[in-house]
Amino acid sequence: MILHLNPASGVPLYLQLIEQVKHAIESGVLSAGEQLPSVRQIAEELLINPNTVARAYRELEHEGIVELKHGSGAYIRESVVERTNSMQKARTVVRSSLDRLDTFDLSEDEIRRLVESELALRRTSGQKRKKHA
Amino acid sequence: MRDTATPLPFPAPEQSVIATSNLTRRFGSKAALDDVSFTVPRGSVFGLVGENGAGKSTLIKHLLGLWRAQAGTVRVFGLDPVSEPVSVLGRIGYLSEQPDLPEWMTVGEFIRYTQAFYPRWDAQYAEELRLQFGLDLDKRIRVLSKGQRAKLGLLGAQAHRPELLLLDEPSSGLDPIVRNDILAAVIRTVADEGRTVFFSSHLLEEIERVADHIAMLHQGKLVLCAQLDEIKLQYRRIVLHFDTPQIQPPAVPGALTVNGSGREWSILCNQPIKTNFLTRVIDDQPASLGDIFVGIAGGAHSHA
Repeated sequence: MILHLNPASGVPLYLQLIEQVKHAIESGVLSAGEQLPSVRQIAEELLINPNTVARAYRELEHEGIVELKHGSGAYIRESVVERTNSMQKARTVVRSSLDRLDTFDLSEDEIRRLVESELALRRTSGQKRKKHA
Repeated sequence: MRDTATPLPFPAPEQSVIATSNLTRRFGSKAALDDVSFTVPRGSVFGLVGENGAGKSTLIKHLLGLWRAQAGTVRVFGLDPVSEPVSVLGRIGYLSEQPDLPEWMTVGEFIRYTQAFYPRWDAQYAEELRLQFGLDLDKRIRVLSKGQRAKLGLLGAQAHRPELLLLDEPSSGLDPIVRNDILAAVIRTVADEGRTVFFSSHLLEEIERVADHIAMLHQGKLVLCAQLDEIKLQYRRIVLHFDTPQIQPPAVPGALTVNGSGREWSILCNQPIKTNFLTRVIDDQPASLGDIFVGIAGGAHSHA
């Protein structure tokens, strides 16, 4: 698993770590039962605070994605595979939507902005934010 | 019931390594520190930021007991660093921006000399650090580069495994490779033993990497003090689109800064803002730390 963080981004580093672990699971880089690198290993490799890595692991455990075994590290849970499956299904929906957008001849950036502004609209129009949103 | 369920933003003072309350220091009519109250939780990496002259060094001098508080109190490990300097300083590893090293000594002599001051000096750890930093035992300090001096200073500050590592602008004027070595040493300190690190820096990139708590001084006042992640989650950069062009910056309740022209205005805020049917949110992103600082410093100016 190769991790890339952007400290200058407004997104907290622990959230960036969580996203990357999730992405690694969704793309099959990490599979159920696999062990994640230790907190110390990641902190020294990425030059970030170990507390940040520990927080990301705690949140991943809270979301049911990893299991923290005392003294031996963090492991990807079996149940995560299920979630990966729904992500795979959602991916096909996204893919077909993008296919349909082709007729509008928009740039990638324009599509991204449309999606982001729709998401922003949902956030600010008072709809409840889902935990996994 | 609510009281017990609500977590405190910071640990109680007895769990904190540093605590100041209403600390004030004046130079003539100018307040270098103005009613500064904050605590540094044990085990945290606490970053202090602020422009030059904001009061960072003045604050650190008070933590080291070099200056007495004119008003308010300073506690380090629960002790007053002015009246109990030995108990306090023996547990602190301190590195200043320009470490004051004896030029005529060799690296080896300096290590033995520093060791003599600290009963809890760990010679094996010192040797480990020396090899890691690539410092030659027989080299005179006089001929060391700025980066090597910083590393030797850090070795001296770290090898007695202090409970509190206090770094004043540790990487100011150093190249990125040396800066990374210093950051790595800080990270190792925290990972190894859950010790506390307090450091001041004007490099936001550095703070964003390693700090979990930050405080910002502006003109002697503490204008921000919180967990970095919470700050990042709280502050957002929102772009609003107005149906009609706005000649003056629109009044947006809750906005810290408003920039733009015509129909599009960019807003920095730390609370949800209300929009009406004439405005639309076209972008909503987490704000960067740089953005937040400019917003807060600018805001503090206009209220002054």
